[in-house]
Amino acid sequence: MRHRRLTLVSTGVPDMTAILPPQPARRPDDIIRFDRIVKRFGGAQALAGASLAIRRGTIHGLVGQNGAGKSTLIKILAGLHQQDEGTIEIEGQRIDHLTPHLAETHGIHFIHQDRLLVPTFTVGEALFLGREPRLPGTPFLDRRKMQRQANETLADYFGIKLPTHALIGELSTAERQIVQITRALLDHPKVLVFDEPTAALVRREADILFRLIRRLRDEGVTIIYISHYLNEIEELCDHVTVLRNGIDVASTPIAETSANAIARLMVERDIADMFPKRRVEFGDDLLKVEGLTAANRFSDVSFTVRRGEVLGITGLLGSGAKDLVRTLFGLERAQSGHIEVAGAADRARTPQAAAVRQIALVPEDRRGHGVALDLSVAENITLASLDRYTSLGVLNGKRERRDSDDLIKRLRIKTAGRDALVRTLSGGNQQKVAIAKWLSRHSEIYLLDEPTVGVDIGSKVEIYTLIGELTERGAGIIVLSSDLPELIGITDRILVLFRGRVTREFISSETTTDEVLAESTGASERLRHVG
Amino acid sequence: MSADIHIGDLADFTAEQSKERSARNLAAASLRFGSLIAFAVILTVFSLTAPYFLSIGNIGNVLGQSAISGVLAIGLTIVLVAGGANVVTGGIDLSLAANMGLSAAVYATVTQLGYNDPVAVAASLLTGLAIGAVNAAAVVFAGIVPLLATLAVMNVVAGLELVLTQNTVVPASTDFLTALSASDALGIPVLAYVLLGFTAVVTAIVQYTPLGLRLYAMGEFPDAARAAGLPLKRLLAGAFLASGLCGGIAGILSVSYLSGSTTGSSEMLLPVVVTALLGAVFSRRLVPTITGTLLSALLVGFLVNGFQLLNLSSTLVSGVQGILILIVVSTTTLLRKREI
Amino acid sequence: MSLSASHSPVAPWHHRVLSSLARYGLILALVVVFAAFSLATPTFLTAGNLQSLLVNNFTLLAIVSVAMTFAVSAGGIDLSVGTAVDFASFAFVSLVLAGQPVAIGLLGGLAAGAVVGAFNALLISGIGVSPFLATLGTLFIGRSVQQLLTNGGNPVYLPPSGVPDAFRFIGHGAISGFPLPLLIAIVVIAAAAFVFARTRFGRVVLAIGIQPSVVRYSGIGLGRHVAVAFILTALIAAIAGLILTATVTVYIPSSGNAFLLNAIGATFIGTTLSPLGRPNIAGTVLGVLLLSIVANGLLLTGLNFYWQQVGTGTLIFAVLAFSFINRKTGGA
Repeated sequence: MRHRRLTLVSTGVPDMTAILPPQPARRPDDIIRFDRIVKRFGGAQALAGASLAIRRGTIHGLVGQNGAGKSTLIKILAGLHQQDEGTIEIEGQRIDHLTPHLAETHGIHFIHQDRLLVPTFTVGEALFLGREPRLPGTPFLDRRKMQRQANETLADYFGIKLPTHALIGELSTAERQIVQITRALLDHPKVLVFDEPTAALVRREADILFRLIRRLRDEGVTIIYISHYLNEIEELCDHVTVLRNGIDVASTPIAETSANAIARLMVERDIADMFPKRRVEFGDDLLKVEGLTAANRFSDVSFTVRRGEVLGITGLLGSGAKDLVRTLFGLERAQSGHIEVAGAADRARTPQAAAVRQIALVPEDRRGHGVALDLSVAENITLASLDRYTSLGVLNGKRERRDSDDLIKRLRIKTAGRDALVRTLSGGNQQKVAIAKWLSRHSEIYLLDEPTVGVDIGSKVEIYTLIGELTERGAGIIVLSSDLPELIGITDRILVLFRGRVTREFISSETTTDEVLAESTGASERLRHVG
Repeated sequence: MSADIHIGDLADFTAEQSKERSARNLAAASLRFGSLIAFAVILTVFSLTAPYFLSIGNIGNVLGQSAISGVLAIGLTIVLVAGGANVVTGGIDLSLAANMGLSAAVYATVTQLGYNDPVAVAASLLTGLAIGAVNAAAVVFAGIVPLLATLAVMNVVAGLELVLTQNTVVPASTDFLTALSASDALGIPVLAYVLLGFTAVVTAIVQYTPLGLRLYAMGEFPDAARAAGLPLKRLLAGAFLASGLCGGIAGILSVSYLSGSTTGSSEMLLPVVVTALLGAVFSRRLVPTITGTLLSALLVGFLVNGFQLLNLSSTLVSGVQGILILIVVSTTTLLRKREI
Repeated sequence: MSLSASHSPVAPWHHRVLSSLARYGLILALVVVFAAFSLATPTFLTAGNLQSLLVNNFTLLAIVSVAMTFAVSAGGIDLSVGTAVDFASFAFVSLVLAGQPVAIGLLGGLAAGAVVGAFNALLISGIGVSPFLATLGTLFIGRSVQQLLTNGGNPVYLPPSGVPDAFRFIGHGAISGFPLPLLIAIVVIAAAAFVFARTRFGRVVLAIGIQPSVVRYSGIGLGRHVAVAFILTALIAAIAGLILTATVTVYIPSSGNAFLLNAIGATFIGTTLSPLGRPNIAGTVLGVLLLSIVANGLLLTGLNFYWQQVGTGTLIFAVLAFSFINRKTGGA
């Protein structure tokens, strides 16, 4: 097992020059090889010399935190991006310009998260779109043949039978995934890439999937399996590669490692003084949640946030962490449970009501929900607090401009001016605008969902400082993040959710990143299995 | 490929799934059956209150009278299928009625100039195709949203029709036209056969060929269509050409029916749009279909006919159409909300 | 998880030129057309003709187009503006015919327009039907309602003797030389511009039209604002109906629908004036002006009346094509 320690230089960017890992030894039965792939997007480097060697006929796991480069690497394999440097070899043949079509002709198929199946088609139609069988000698569809072949393939591979006239839109998520996999199988693929396939599945459905994957491997198909669930990687894969900060830091047979060891590799990072020290006295209970339950998303969640406190929440996709935060802001409904804001029961549950109760949400999808790209900076900043500038329905433009300028200065938002469109700002500055919106309203409870994703280092530090300032003024903050060093650095406590339940609470100053990671990838569950 | 892997307890797994599935289906089924029942009820009520309503002759009459709007609505349905459900950014062709008017005017003018029927037919069909081509170019190449593109084209085409006819009715009557508008081939108007034949051909193409399946895929879920390697631009352009052609065909039928061109073609536009949109209600999957549109057109035809026989103003039919579409759309919207 | 930079790269120079052209294209077209007609016919550039242009071609279309701009700003469209015009017209004439004072007639007309707007609001905000379909339904139902109210589509006339002075004044009067209808239109335009630029409501509606999800995530109720926007649309259209009736002293069923297509055209042409393609009052007004000048000018040049529609249609088409192509090449 080879790995490298990466140290952060003062700018916070890993110094690659002297320490690229050695190339994986060339083996004759490598079906896919990536050699030192570099990919940049604008100023940020997504891949910094990553290499990957997939042996034919194995199940190869690919793991890494958000931002480590997993999805970029896969998109390059899918031909959706072109690498800036580095070579790709498929079946020993070097390919310089991989396109989606080319990937397909080489037998590489992808099972994506967003199932690309038409909801109003029948199973047969969805399977055969683009290669529809015809009644011999006529231009007409042979629907009966489509249906028959569909049933046969489904029964053969999965042992299930779906009703003849079932529409894709009527199927469950698992069934839809089965159809999607079957469609890929019809092409007799050589390589199948699964991207987070079990995030929306229950245990039993995941088991079915695993049995299928193993069977495919036994029949000679190569599988690339991407997942955050380390216990799955441990259970299913033959080999695993760990990505971190755009480089493969380890590539090893599963037999020689463990989920915990993998977890440690994923997050190791020396943390320079990126996180400002805070010394805040906690005040009264600001937000109190008891027994909050939303069917199929999370159950029986209870916690308290006091004034001046920063509570971290983390969990994998499907853990319920995101739904919890959305429910607190009134975007989703809980079925039972109790929420109290500053001592008063919070019964009305819509975003409007939440804002009135001085709860603020900075959503993860910054460009979709956080800021209006085609409105100006000032218009965005005042969007949640328009009432403060309105008298008799008319906006007080002067005060609006003055307060916007204040906030721009205070948050050091780099913009051509208050009237510049938010679209022209960098990610970090857009995020500051999204936060400024609630500052303008003097909100008290801040729900920050992945606040520094896609944000440059400089802005990250500024946002952390801002969080600190807010707590000094008596705000209570919840940070939902999958960036564990960040979480440990800026929060007082961390709640870990796994498949809908709070499994553990950590004191941030007394825990480590791999402890948290292990917990969020199901350590408690693993223990339960073992015990 | 061996089948001896037991995926064990999948039996009850799929049973659970199908129970949920039935619940979801119930709503869609009730909508579809509801509309068929409504159709049947309307027919029954009229047959009881209006004399001769369900006679072969009258039914044939209705078919014949619905031929023009039926052909237009079917042309529009092709665009609806290929362009997608969102009416503003998706598929719609507002130029169809004007297309029909101009094509009819072209036919009449050409025969007036002394040419014979085949030439006139060709001229009309080419006119329709040309309009379809302009629509296709505007939407696919210039990237103009179909609502606006076809709106602008409609304006131009309507204007051209006025220029051609000087806002008068240009008469036309040839043997072919007279044959078309004959009203007793076995007791039923020829136009009725034309409508049925036309519907059969288009249905065969749109509902039963790979091409049709791909049009649906493109309209419903362009990303999936693209992932399946379908040529989206070509398909969409083709859809607009097809609807243009239908406009030309409708123009020929119109000239025959009215023995000349007409000045009232723009009146037909919105009723045809509503007819095509309502057609979705008659399909199992609640998507626009050719046969569904035919049923929708016939529904309107029967309403108009029934109202006429009962001496009610047939202009009230537009109100009925309006109410129907609002009921249908509201129901589907509310149902979809409940599912979430 | 995207690591792409969120700056938009600076567009190549020829794109920027095209983009400016597209934006000012509307103004350019206005100037060109105005100049062309001034040269082509001597009668165009006369005070009498310009006044006639403004009053006959411009006024009513401008008001209806301003109404449409509200609906389009909220992210939708209102196909039933003509219905609101007609309802208001009908109520006004009927009330005056029945002996009511003109003021009551005006209020009744506005109320009738509000009913149409409320119906749309209920469908769109209450149930969630898309604005196109909802207003399409309203349009159809409105037609039949008018048929029923007039016993089969008969116009309602005010006999020449029964026309109150106030009535006549609205339709044909003038204040210091300015025709009253035109003045009303200017007031409506100014008020609408004010609402969009300076009021909370205008700001929220614009934001909803641009990115509704962000507005929702900012804790603002979408439904209320969209509802009011559509009611406002109908009310403003109703004003046009009142002026129309006062001018011609008759109500003709479903005549209001003649405004629909040009109002849509003007509003969307108007969006080309904004660098982002946002609907805006100034652009709409310029769009109406353009259409009016073309209609008036073509008439004066003695060109076959029927070519006018072709001309207008081609113009709308060209402007649209230009702005959409421009947007696709990454202009603005």
